[in-house]
Amino acid sequence: MGSTGETLRNLLTLAWLLPLIGFLVEIYALCWTHRLSKAPAYLAVGCIAAGFVCSFTALMTWGVQTDWVVFQSTHHDEHHEGDHHGEQHHADEHDAETAHVAEPAKTDEHHKHAEKAVASAPADALAATHADHAAEHGDGHSEEHAAKPTVFAGTFYNLGSFGPLKISLDWYIDSLTLVMFTMVTFIATCIHIFAMGYMQDELTEDYVDHEVHLANHEHFHRPGRFYRFFSFLSLFCFSMLGLVLAGNIFQVFIFWELVGVCSYLLIGFYVERKSASTAANKAFIMNRVGDFGFLIGLMIIWTSLGTFQFFDSVDAEGHTSQVGLFHLIRGTTGEMQLSADGQQVLLQNEVGELLTAGENLRSIPYWLLVTAGLGIFAGCIGKSAQFPLQTWLPDAMEGPTPVSALVHSATMVAAGVYLAGRFYPVFTPEVLLVIAYIGCITLFLAATIAVVATDIKKVLAYSTISQLGYMMLGIGVGGWGAGLFHLVTHAFFKSLLFLCSGSVIAGCHHEQDMRKMGGLWKKMPITAATMLVGVIAIAGLAIPGSQAVLGETFAFSGFHSKDAIVATALAYTKLNAVHGLLFLAPLVTAGITAFYMFRLWFMTFAGAPQDEHVYDHAHENPAVMTGPLLVLSLLAATCAIGGESGPLYKLLALSEAVPAGASTAPSSPVTIVLPTHGQVHAVHATAGKFALLAAGLGTLVAYLLYCRKALNPAEIGRQFSGVYGFLVDKWRFDELYDFLFVKPAHSVGRWCQGFDKVVLDGVLHGASSLVMLVSTWDRWFDERMIDGLVNLVGQVTGQAGRSLRVVQTGHLRQYVMWIAVGVVVLFAALFTALPK
Amino acid sequence: MVSPELLLTAVVFLPTLWALFTAFFEPKATEAIRYFGLFGTALTFVLTLIVLWQFNPELDVKETHAGYQMWFQMPWVPDWNVNYSMGVDGISLPLVVLTGLISFLAMLASWSIEKHVKGYVILFLLLETGMLGVFLALDFFLFYIFWEVMLLPMYFLIGIWGGPRREYAAIKFFLYTLAGGVLMLIAMLMLYFNSGRSFDLITLAEIGQGNIAEYVFSPTFQIAAFILLFIGFAIKLPAFPFHTWLPDAHVEAPTPISMILAGVLLKMGGYGILRIAFPICPYGAQYCAYGIVALGVFSIIYGAFAALAQTDFKRLVAYSSVSHMGYVLLGMGVWKISENADDAVYYWQMGVSAAMFQMIAHGISSAGMFFMVGVLYDRVHHRDLNKFGGIAGLMPQYTGIAAVLFFAGLGLPGLCGFIGEVFTVLSAWQYDHMLAIIAAGGVILTAGYILWTIQRVYFGPSYKGPHAEAIVPANSRELLVGYVLLAFAILFGVCPNLLFYEMNPTIERFVHQVDAGYDKALEQLQAAPPEGVETTWIP
Repeated sequence: MGSTGETLRNLLTLAWLLPLIGFLVEIYALCWTHRLSKAPAYLAVGCIAAGFVCSFTALMTWGVQTDWVVFQSTHHDEHHEGDHHGEQHHADEHDAETAHVAEPAKTDEHHKHAEKAVASAPADALAATHADHAAEHGDGHSEEHAAKPTVFAGTFYNLGSFGPLKISLDWYIDSLTLVMFTMVTFIATCIHIFAMGYMQDELTEDYVDHEVHLANHEHFHRPGRFYRFFSFLSLFCFSMLGLVLAGNIFQVFIFWELVGVCSYLLIGFYVERKSASTAANKAFIMNRVGDFGFLIGLMIIWTSLGTFQFFDSVDAEGHTSQVGLFHLIRGTTGEMQLSADGQQVLLQNEVGELLTAGENLRSIPYWLLVTAGLGIFAGCIGKSAQFPLQTWLPDAMEGPTPVSALVHSATMVAAGVYLAGRFYPVFTPEVLLVIAYIGCITLFLAATIAVVATDIKKVLAYSTISQLGYMMLGIGVGGWGAGLFHLVTHAFFKSLLFLCSGSVIAGCHHEQDMRKMGGLWKKMPITAATMLVGVIAIAGLAIPGSQAVLGETFAFSGFHSKDAIVATALAYTKLNAVHGLLFLAPLVTAGITAFYMFRLWFMTFAGAPQDEHVYDHAHENPAVMTGPLLVLSLLAATCAIGGESGPLYKLLALSEAVPAGASTAPSSPVTIVLPTHGQVHAVHATAGKFALLAAGLGTLVAYLLYCRKALNPAEIGRQFSGVYGFLVDKWRFDELYDFLFVKPAHSVGRWCQGFDKVVLDGVLHGASSLVMLVSTWDRWFDERMIDGLVNLVGQVTGQAGRSLRVVQTGHLRQYVMWIAVGVVVLFAALFTALPK
Repeated sequence: MVSPELLLTAVVFLPTLWALFTAFFEPKATEAIRYFGLFGTALTFVLTLIVLWQFNPELDVKETHAGYQMWFQMPWVPDWNVNYSMGVDGISLPLVVLTGLISFLAMLASWSIEKHVKGYVILFLLLETGMLGVFLALDFFLFYIFWEVMLLPMYFLIGIWGGPRREYAAIKFFLYTLAGGVLMLIAMLMLYFNSGRSFDLITLAEIGQGNIAEYVFSPTFQIAAFILLFIGFAIKLPAFPFHTWLPDAHVEAPTPISMILAGVLLKMGGYGILRIAFPICPYGAQYCAYGIVALGVFSIIYGAFAALAQTDFKRLVAYSSVSHMGYVLLGMGVWKISENADDAVYYWQMGVSAAMFQMIAHGISSAGMFFMVGVLYDRVHHRDLNKFGGIAGLMPQYTGIAAVLFFAGLGLPGLCGFIGEVFTVLSAWQYDHMLAIIAAGGVILTAGYILWTIQRVYFGPSYKGPHAEAIVPANSRELLVGYVLLAFAILFGVCPNLLFYEMNPTIERFVHQVDAGYDKALEQLQAAPPEGVETTWIP
């Protein structure tokens, strides 16, 4: 077991660090090659492709380790369970099963419940637990995600330790990590290859940027920056993989910021364009707003729980030295333990016992845990462009299209969802409710804007926001697996869609306005066909009735994952009737999604050409660009095969740490019950029908409006010009934020500046003026009074001398007389004054 | 093993000796003088590295002199009980090495100084002696002497080689620091006459922590002394509202002096608080802790807002220093006394460590930022943020280094600024929720002003200011300075434990001792003052 962990760690670490090495070599490309060389691109592709091979090997190793459990027992439908008490029974029944896995811990009675700690070295502790063998031992009341996920984890090195407090760089590998690694490296490889074609025009000594407007109305010329683009891409891959591999929440934050800065560099790749650098700043600062919340969450966790690690660290003797976050909050059963009054969450150790500090039980106030969860989720809001921080993502389309595909649809923005999934055990149902509503608002809001957008990339950007909203909603309503399932399928079809749009843009010579396209399927058949696959996938279309024939519904990936989310939402609203919106909004939006995606496809590829110039010069792209499209379209179609009984979903579900079906604390102001898998399954078919109906309607409307031109869309826009304008202005969030935050911040800055100048320096200058005044007066006093007095004394003395001169006559007789008078006076004085 | 007397004396006075030699140079031989000065600073840096090499953070405290290694003491003015006493521990060591490094780099950046090179180099070297002396002195009188010694060269360096308003800035700097010095002097004399005439910092700390039976610093006395010392050091740090000397001094000072000012001089304030104010007046420190933290948090936010409003590049960086040094105060002050003090003291330890880390990190990143401003100023002779643009295309490699250094200031993970900022903020929550949240809000503002600056200066299609023809790519000397700072920024960002390893045992001891000192003062406050013990203010 330990060796498996080490193998996985080595493979994933290699996959993680290769792009960093690539970055360092590529950024100095001009030192070892010339500007027109494609070598940096080959290197970048090599690094990420090697990373993919490593990740895939790791996945295979994992498969062997878990006896390919994901491919067994795909008969999800046959388990008609539903009471989650079954989970407890199940865990007990598999004690014997789990014990043989981790030999060193066998003797330890406490490790009964599957948590096995294998210590290879203090700094490299492996906490490994056994997988769900529910499939093999499927019995009447087994529930799919009941047993503990298999986890390998350990520490790379220490960042700092203060007494018992330790912060380190860790690694944490479960099936979610592996799926993310494989997905990210695979998509990144495709996009790297595509970018070699797309960024071709940077391979020049003299690149003319038509988007830059110089004062003298000339075109802007600069050397090409092909190598730099690929080095930034490599740096991004490094950051993203680091984020996924992270074994503690602080480390997630580190790489969180790093993907943020990579995104900044890539959005602002055309640094000469004011719009690009502004969009880059906006993205970074909006993310920082979310990170502000993230930081507050980190502070709470750090202070209340004393650790950031997800897993239990094990010392040299094999004892748990520090219980990880998940066990602290959830213990081994996945249940939170509340104090009698419900105000405190009691902390548990690695075997589910309550922790004590002195005589008291260790605990964290419930409200604080809720706040921490909301804080961490605020970070997710920023990164995943959720309401109210969604405005940066559309602007981020300033970056080159491969960046949009990789960073702003498939991976980085998905990091927010990933984190929400990873940190799921720490979220209370109240936090999940907030997540659900944020997702719900976002998915609807973004979809409405996408309906009126005319820039092909902007439509996709808004659809990304909307789809991320779906994922958040899925997680929020307790559909952990559904949300992450959609994360993976979305990554495939959205990267495909973006690359297709990139192909269109490149084919049309950097025209992005869909109103100038039309009829392009003749010119670019491969792009059109692959994009259609993506559109069908995201719209969630399926062939009704195919289930009867094939045993399962025939549909592309998006259908399965969106179906799972909608089903969970329906089950949720059945249990919590007041939150009915959480089902209605995604359902309606499913229709809107189908509408705007088909609108995009029809406007671009179908109908008559709208702009002869664009049409005439349009061309299909070379194989280096269409190849990745074909590969990705294949995966977009098939990656979710089998739906919730298929391998992908089951693989993800292996990492589900918390049993579904939790409910809020009795003391909580809101009452929420999360649906169990059984409850979700019960409504699955109904939800699927509704969703398909909505998607079908949306498609039909798009077909009528944009293909058959049954109605003129522009006419509709004019009729509802108020709403239309409001949507075109993106609900006027930018103006609102500018008014609420940006302008006040600058004003406060000026006040501070003024305070320094006027008040603080004013006091100082006042004081110095006062000192000058005093010293001036002092000088006056010195010169007039003191010196005056001295001079006066001198003058008086002189005067006296001069006046006494008259008595100095030189007559001896006179002098004798004065002496005599003097003697008499002295004696008189002597006799009168002397004491008797 | 070099004898500590020799080694530490050499570290401090080698620059003085070099200054003396420089005096014999022909004033016109500017290039020779520069290289000679550079050699002197390089040699001093090597000596500080030897100190680093000889220092063993894991050494048992019993084998050290009250935690100080390489400690020595010899009488200087026996009548007054003044000693020539030095030593290093985990708090002073990183700052000594930082001083050696930044002085060397600043000298390397001094090639742009054309006027009176000989005088410049002499004053520069004297300044370095003052700085190193402050960090190494363990006698309060000696500390005070070095503190004032450093003042004079700085005054002339700003006043002669500075910009148009140099006289104003130099006098402002001088008066502010002098005022701080006077407060420190009063506190020093208070301590001296209440401790049986001792200037020894170790003895004073022992008395302050209640470990010496004959003398006691009463709680009220501690509060008074602490406030005097704190204001004296806060002026240097600088904390709001004593910070207005800093932007003026920075704007007028020549580039290398700005590097020294931001990189080393500001750290003296933080160092003084840790070395003198806290250990000698634990009760006073705890009494004022909330004020310290609040002042730190306010400085963070205030400095960031003020930076947002600047149009002068250097002034912006100066205000960013005010903001970043606020984290130092924040980290130091998060000393919470609670029932489960065992836990709280570790968070305070983290805060102090992070504050120290922040000082080093800021020494690297802000020195780097000032240097980057200086490189541009040398070319175009203006600093108006609205008249830049397009530098990225004209000076690509320089822009890359500058961007990383600015990002280090922004607190990007993987670079040094991140660890200091985030660790201080993390340690703050247990102290006060509200202040911690406000401090965390600083990350947004910092990102705002730094990114906006980068956009205005480096991005955009074309340069908008005068002397466009003078913008040439950075030369190898400039790149060397940049890359060295860059390397340290990344090194400490990726492996912060390198630094924490040196500091940890000292800081752990520090927090526990000061904590115990506070408890003793508290006991004393609750009990009646013991008979026959001098507790009055004036002897």
